[in-house]
Amino acid sequence: MELSGSVAAETRPSASLAMVRAINKRFGGVRALRDVNLEVRAGEVHALLGENGAGKSTLIKILSGVHALDSGTIEIAGKPVEFDSPAKSREAGIAVVYQDLSLVESLSVADNLLLGREPRGPFGFVRQRALLARAEAFLKELGIPLDTRATVGSLPFAYRQMTEIAKALMGEVRLLILDEPTSSLTSDEVRILFDAIGKATRRGVGVIYVTHRLNEVFEISQRVTVLRDGANAGTFVTAETDMKRLVNAIVGTDRSASIVSRNERAPKRELDRSPVLSLSDVSNDRLRAVDLSVVKGEIHGLAGLIGSGRTEILETVFGLRPLESGAVELEGRRWLPSGPADAIEQGVALVPEDRHMQGLVLDHSIERNVTLPRIPHFSRWGWMQQRAAARRAEAAVARLAVKAQGASSLVRTLSGGNQQKVVFGKWNDPRPRVLLLDEPTVGVDVGAREEIYAVIRNAARDGSGVLVVSSDLVELIELCDRISVIVNGHVARTLARGEIDDAEELHHLLQMYQAAGPGPLQELSA
Amino acid sequence: MTELIAPNVVASSTRSDRRRKLVQKLLRGERPYMLYIAFVILLVVFSLSSPWFLSIDNFLNIGRQTTLVSIIAVGMTFIIIARQIDLSVASTLALSGMAAALAMSQIDNSWIVGAVAGLGTGALVGLINGILTTQLSIPSFLVTLGSLSMARGLAMMVTNTKPVIITNETYFAIFGEGSFLGIPVPIAWTLAAMIVGILLLHYNVFGRRIYAVGGNPTAALYSGINTKLITTTAFVLTGALAGLAALVLSARSHAARPDVVQGMELDVIAAVILGGCSLFGGRGYILGTLFGSLIIGTLNNGLVLLGVSSPMQLVIKGAIIVAAVAFTKR
Repeated sequence: MELSGSVAAETRPSASLAMVRAINKRFGGVRALRDVNLEVRAGEVHALLGENGAGKSTLIKILSGVHALDSGTIEIAGKPVEFDSPAKSREAGIAVVYQDLSLVESLSVADNLLLGREPRGPFGFVRQRALLARAEAFLKELGIPLDTRATVGSLPFAYRQMTEIAKALMGEVRLLILDEPTSSLTSDEVRILFDAIGKATRRGVGVIYVTHRLNEVFEISQRVTVLRDGANAGTFVTAETDMKRLVNAIVGTDRSASIVSRNERAPKRELDRSPVLSLSDVSNDRLRAVDLSVVKGEIHGLAGLIGSGRTEILETVFGLRPLESGAVELEGRRWLPSGPADAIEQGVALVPEDRHMQGLVLDHSIERNVTLPRIPHFSRWGWMQQRAAARRAEAAVARLAVKAQGASSLVRTLSGGNQQKVVFGKWNDPRPRVLLLDEPTVGVDVGAREEIYAVIRNAARDGSGVLVVSSDLVELIELCDRISVIVNGHVARTLARGEIDDAEELHHLLQMYQAAGPGPLQELSA
Repeated sequence: MTELIAPNVVASSTRSDRRRKLVQKLLRGERPYMLYIAFVILLVVFSLSSPWFLSIDNFLNIGRQTTLVSIIAVGMTFIIIARQIDLSVASTLALSGMAAALAMSQIDNSWIVGAVAGLGTGALVGLINGILTTQLSIPSFLVTLGSLSMARGLAMMVTNTKPVIITNETYFAIFGEGSFLGIPVPIAWTLAAMIVGILLLHYNVFGRRIYAVGGNPTAALYSGINTKLITTTAFVLTGALAGLAALVLSARSHAARPDVVQGMELDVIAAVILGGCSLFGGRGYILGTLFGSLIIGTLNNGLVLLGVSSPMQLVIKGAIIVAAVAFTKR
């Protein structure tokens, strides 16, 4: 009896852990939060949804003590609290895992986990062995597969994130806040992350899970709260709701209808058969005999795990990674990409994976960013044609519906989706022959994502050949005419859109090719 | 597919708008007016405390004393915006001055030969700095720390530390003692360097690229910009300006000395940072640099007029620089 009772208590969380009531927050003239309520129970994963700018980040920053609230109350375990600093919030047992991580890259996993809490011997010397042992025991208990001695900087992103979560759980954490933890994880890594979250909730930790991926909400959360325009747009019990209702709450009823209809109207295009880009037998340090072709007007997807060589294919075509053997042809003409400047001149454009690091100069205006790859077009005898550049930037802002005051707004001030539109704006005019996209919608909210899909489809319809890398299989299925599966730097198989039904199937295919390695399966499928 | 329409279409700019933008462009900074306010406060304080400070002669004096720092600071602005640093400028000046004087004494006593030798030597040191920084990926702090020492050593070696006397009157007139449109030539050269700097940085393609390279080198590379060439060009420009400063100095003192202006690189860097450049790259403007170096020049001048002892001058100058930077930053 007692046993079943305790199990029930674990699986049906009820105690209210965090209670947020009628919070208001104003930044200058903008009301970022309006009477927002949120309740998180012990042992619950509570998903927090909303478009960028809906108020999720502001709410999180208030909970973590970064911003002070204007009015409203927060209770933790029944006691009212006031945070005037992140330290206070941490003391109350709230830990936040941010998208951009807060680890010391030059230190090991164990050092990071116990940073500032190192076991000390006489004279303050660190007891290295005790430190390792403690870190190892903790990771083992959580079931997180991390090498405690590995240097954090050398780890793949997913493992750094796990380190971050483990670090948060190491303290006395009651409420764990995860801000888009899966945005750059592969499906296997997501599994590991979800397991770790499960272990945390079983210890009674409450989790606020911020995400843009709706399928994850159904997989992991018990309840969902949706914010829209800084106010509550509804709280749902996950098991009693569905995708459509959540999308409605996120974007508002009118807009979601138009998104759905737009998707249904996705035109079936007859593709011109002439290849814009073709790679034959291309090899270098990361690629092995890649054969690939993109025809005019095609959207061609590259599916595969992180590190499989998807990004490297784009980098090779863009001239960032030298070609060792094989041939690249652009519209039938042999071409040896020698660098980004050469690639751009040939009409090849890249929207890179990391828009902050690779795509944008954040402290510069939209205008400066948009004109960056086309500076020679806006100059005469070396002098800038300032007005032409400004006009062009304003036109890009208008065409891509970038939500900004104007082309002179700093890119840093824009939301993720709008920043990504600016990166697209760099390559909008003249139309590139080949458009290379690397994870084009990472960190972009649902509404803006549809707009970016529209931009991509428009580019293809206007005759660009599009090569898109994405970890979001739904996205590949929705966008692509053909999808190539990349395993270990090799194209394991290329599928036409009709050969595959849904993301589930693509996922299984990926797993199968990954498990078998590229060699034998290629023969099997032939 | 649905046409997407922007929520805010910005109206085309009117003429007054454009004029305002021009003013903003030339004066821009984190807190654009703080720098000018600081300069004015400095002027007022010195005017009230010294009867000799507020005179045209003294201002021309400040202008002349500031020329070397100001001229080189124009180049340093480009370098710091590009996320680099050049510690070798004072040594480059000394070496360029020696090259100019020796070239004149060897070849026809011609001022043109001297000018070409001086500018060329400076540009060559800059080229070497730039190539080592970009091709070998050595941080420019280390590269130029090395060339600081090497250029100074070379300058001393060529004559065994003896000065070289210059006798060409035209050379004195053009670079040191004459006047152009009523302006003493050292100040005229400073203004020329500033104007070229403003045109290059704010109106030329090169300036756009410099900002991009410093703002985010990876994004610049991915946008097809030859970041190495751009960075190297900034070093060459700075080296050549150090050469110009060498011509001005040697023409004023009728000789080139190998041991001049030691430590001046710090004044140059201070002027640029005071002027609103970010040490993290991507931000800065020439007019700010001019005021930065004027503030340093005014400080030097004013403290002397007030009879402050020279050790105390150093302390006060350092403190004011740190305070001013703290004040002008966020």
